[in-house]
Amino acid sequence: MANLIILIFVGGAFGAMCREFIMLMVPPMADGFPLDVFAANMVACFLLGLSTSFHQRVKIHHHVHTMIGTGIMGGMSTFSSFVYGTSTVMKTPGEFAVALAYIVASLFAGFLLMIAGLKLAKKTVG
Amino acid sequence: MMTPLDVMWIGLGGGLGSLLRWRIGAIVGEHYHGDFPLGTFLINVTGAFVIAYLAILFGVDWRDRFGSALNAGVLTGVLGGYTTFSSMQLDAAKLADAGKGWLATIYLLVSTSAGLAAAVFGAWLAVLQD
Repeated sequence: MANLIILIFVGGAFGAMCREFIMLMVPPMADGFPLDVFAANMVACFLLGLSTSFHQRVKIHHHVHTMIGTGIMGGMSTFSSFVYGTSTVMKTPGEFAVALAYIVASLFAGFLLMIAGLKLAKKTVG
Repeated sequence: MMTPLDVMWIGLGGGLGSLLRWRIGAIVGEHYHGDFPLGTFLINVTGAFVIAYLAILFGVDWRDRFGSALNAGVLTGVLGGYTTFSSMQLDAAKLADAGKGWLATIYLLVSTSAGLAAAVFGAWLAVLQD
């Protein structure tokens, strides 16, 4: 229990800081599309897919997977900024279509990157 | 400009938010055993409500992610760490893999629309109290 608390706290802290660094590197797009939040969520989906697949194949210990999956990737990805950002963009005149595109792109690309991560880790040897 | 103090608040908040997500997910998992990923759903919807409520109540623009303990520690840190987009997609991928693609689709759509509704409701409540 104490081990898990430490792993998840440290992982979540590192993940949240990584999210912020990703968001600083990726500029939000001029037309209101929140590319920065989008990028952080996409990276986290792909890496969580990889970690889950490696864990299923017992390539990584379940505590390591807890630190990566529940901690780092959970901390790196964010749902609150995703929907709150969408609701704000929706209210901006003329940007309703951008908000819709943001939702569709996030759900589709996130799902595909998750599948890609899961499949890619299955193909690696060793 | 982000300061080292902002990074510290985001890390501290992200760690605490992740622990809260883990605990609530475990508690929901003890009481609910259905196919719908209820734990992640409840976590994400409540987080969406709280971020909108606090952001409007304290007049924080949603693009201001750091600069004070409130927006760096609580909004970006705790709420960003508490809610998760990647676990939602993992839940959906697992459902699709189990041949429940329709439930995966419903789950993603219901999560997003309920999250949006929660954010709008939270913002509305905060405006009422102003």
